[in-house]
Amino acid sequence: MITVTNLSKQYKGFTAVKNLSFSVEPGQILGLLGPNGAGKTTTLRTLCGIIPPSSGSLLVAGHDVVDAPIAAKKNLGYIPDDPRLFDTMTVWEHLAFTAAAYKLADFEKDAEGLLASFELTHKRNTLAHNLSRGMRQKVAIACAFLHDPKVILFDEPLTGLDPQGIRRIQQAIRERAQAGAAIIISSHLLSLFENLCTHIMVLNLGECRRFGTMEDLLREVGHTDSTSALEEVYFSITQAPDQPSETAAV
Amino acid sequence: MDPALCQLLMLRLRGGLRQRLLQLASLRGLLFSLAFGGGIWLLIVSNGSSITSLLGSAAQDQQAFSEQIITFMPLSMLGLSLLTVSMTTGPTFHFSPNEVNFLFTGPFRRRDLIVYKFGAYVAGVTLSSMFITFLVQPQTGSALSVFIATLLTLVFVQLNSAVIGMTGHALDGSRLARIRWPATALLCAIVAATVLYAWATPDRGIFDILSEFRHSWIGTIILIPYIVFAKLFVAPSISHLALWAVVAVVINAALLGTVIALDARTTDRSLVENARLSNRWERIKQGGSFWATQRTEVRSIRRTPIVGGLGPIALRQVLNALRNSFKLIIVFIGLAACTAPISLALGAPITEAQTLMTIYLFIAFILPRNLICDFRGDLSRMEIYKTLPIAPWRICAGQLVVQVFLAYVIALTIIASALVFEDSVTTQIALILAAFALPLTLLIYAVENTVHLLFPTKLIAMGRVDFEFLGRSIVEFIAKTIFVFAALAASGAVGLATFKIMGTTFVMPGLASWLTLTLIGLLTLVALQYAFRRFAVAETID
Repeated sequence: MITVTNLSKQYKGFTAVKNLSFSVEPGQILGLLGPNGAGKTTTLRTLCGIIPPSSGSLLVAGHDVVDAPIAAKKNLGYIPDDPRLFDTMTVWEHLAFTAAAYKLADFEKDAEGLLASFELTHKRNTLAHNLSRGMRQKVAIACAFLHDPKVILFDEPLTGLDPQGIRRIQQAIRERAQAGAAIIISSHLLSLFENLCTHIMVLNLGECRRFGTMEDLLREVGHTDSTSALEEVYFSITQAPDQPSETAAV
Repeated sequence: MDPALCQLLMLRLRGGLRQRLLQLASLRGLLFSLAFGGGIWLLIVSNGSSITSLLGSAAQDQQAFSEQIITFMPLSMLGLSLLTVSMTTGPTFHFSPNEVNFLFTGPFRRRDLIVYKFGAYVAGVTLSSMFITFLVQPQTGSALSVFIATLLTLVFVQLNSAVIGMTGHALDGSRLARIRWPATALLCAIVAATVLYAWATPDRGIFDILSEFRHSWIGTIILIPYIVFAKLFVAPSISHLALWAVVAVVINAALLGTVIALDARTTDRSLVENARLSNRWERIKQGGSFWATQRTEVRSIRRTPIVGGLGPIALRQVLNALRNSFKLIIVFIGLAACTAPISLALGAPITEAQTLMTIYLFIAFILPRNLICDFRGDLSRMEIYKTLPIAPWRICAGQLVVQVFLAYVIALTIIASALVFEDSVTTQIALILAAFALPLTLLIYAVENTVHLLFPTKLIAMGRVDFEFLGRSIVEFIAKTIFVFAALAASGAVGLATFKIMGTTFVMPGLASWLTLTLIGLLTLVALQYAFRRFAVAETID
């Protein structure tokens, strides 16, 4: 569903992502883990067509993001870390806007369902600038889910959410994966990965340092307690001196 | 003032100065600042055709100019005060969120905080006054008198607005507050009756009636505090200047005392208004409008038209215009409708080159800087557009359609105003102007957006003396004007060539000329599409 081959992205002499290759199949949830500046957001933004890659190939649902961006984007939902909504539009108008952009003829029923599932029904006529950070996040997620994308990219999806919101979003992510979506989540929250992810990729300084299933990683460190194992993996990789990059495909 | 607040004020001034110097340290900042300085220098050296001459031929006569100031400046200031009463809902002294967090919780009295804010304001208007002095000194002769008069007047405007606003807040909920709207309605009725009377009596214009009111005993009593500041501007000698300056300082001190007294009764309201204004500024920084709706909820549009992907983008900008800039649009349409009558009243018919240049300045500089319903207001949301499955040219067209339509309506209003009030503007001329205004408007905004996407920048100046921002605005305007005039020249050349080939009738040359201008506009749309594709969303490399 998502195939990334030799992705590199350079900014004026600085390499944000270097020779990254991986793939995510339907139903899988890949967690991107790494310190600030590791290249997580750049990877996601390149995948969803916000920034062009310097080299490499990116396929979303079989469509090349660079050569066939419209077809690729039709299958893609992206939730940024800081959702910037249109401040003069209401919550419902964001959904209507998304429906028109993705050419969805009958969207009302699905939109109502999403509003209900994210507890936004009573906010349908509220202008976006009056929403809290968490509410804006929920609206962004509802908009991203509306066209039932095959690929969903989350950048720090839980920021600003209350405990109920966190539980609801995690449940929604699980359900989307079970329905066959390929999902990538970028976050600093190790607990989120432990709860949701089937695969983990650790990035550091733009390079892939470890890639595999959650079980592989736990087995590698020899821990049964996943919390401390993931933490150990993370720190051993990100605080160790430069290692050769290791890429793999699921 | 509390010494700590005094120190904070000094540190902030130093910080502001450091920021400006840092701007000059970069090549771009230096070039834009030089461009700004050059523009101002040109304005000053082109003495004959600059500010005062825009006010009409009477400005050439110093005596007549002084008379105009004495007559109309107090009236203008009264109008401004009344406008403040009816329109203002914001705080009288705005404290930013960080000031609220640090200073409101610190060991300071409210009086000290008000004086601190007043000190910051005076520091700011001192710079503004120096700038105005530099600009108008060649026309007035005495730099000192212009500086003192401007400084004291600007301080008065702020304090007077504050007192009026705070009085309104203090009276909220009382019986007196109930007369606010009836009083406003009565004033509006008086203004409307005056305009109608002036319209019905051709030998007495609106300015004659205003002048009579100003010099009547009742007008003099009402306008006494405002007359003091007009006298400052026209003081014939240093002793007169000193006398009026002392009176002005006393008025300002009394107003400051009133502000401090009223502040004790409006603290809660002030806090709410501060928070609201801070939110508003945050929205402005992200491309919103100062005039944006303050409502929490509105009736949602159920469905959005698709129109091949163009519909949702255009509808987003329609909603933006209606909820963000509706009041501004009304103001601009009102101004456009008044163009011909005002130019006639000032003795500068709309057909004169100078008036036409002023109208061009309005259409190509003032309007695009204030009415923003396109990419320029959406730079912080570009990643949304980039992820949409819509072809870039459709996104660009969708972004422009509302902005061009609104600007075209305003241009049509100017043309209609000229048609009604100017004898030399016939229906035929008006129709030709209306036809050419559309591609010209498209061209102006396509260029504006292309430049903005290629060289993105903030939409508002950072403080009073952001020379880089001001310089950039001037450079952009000059570049845009060169492009627009080149397009007009090309269009005219094609029309002329067609006329030479085809002979007698003007229809085909006019059509050829119009098509050329439209084609150039559409080609600029292609450039805009390129700029959109090339636009790099601000990176947070994480």
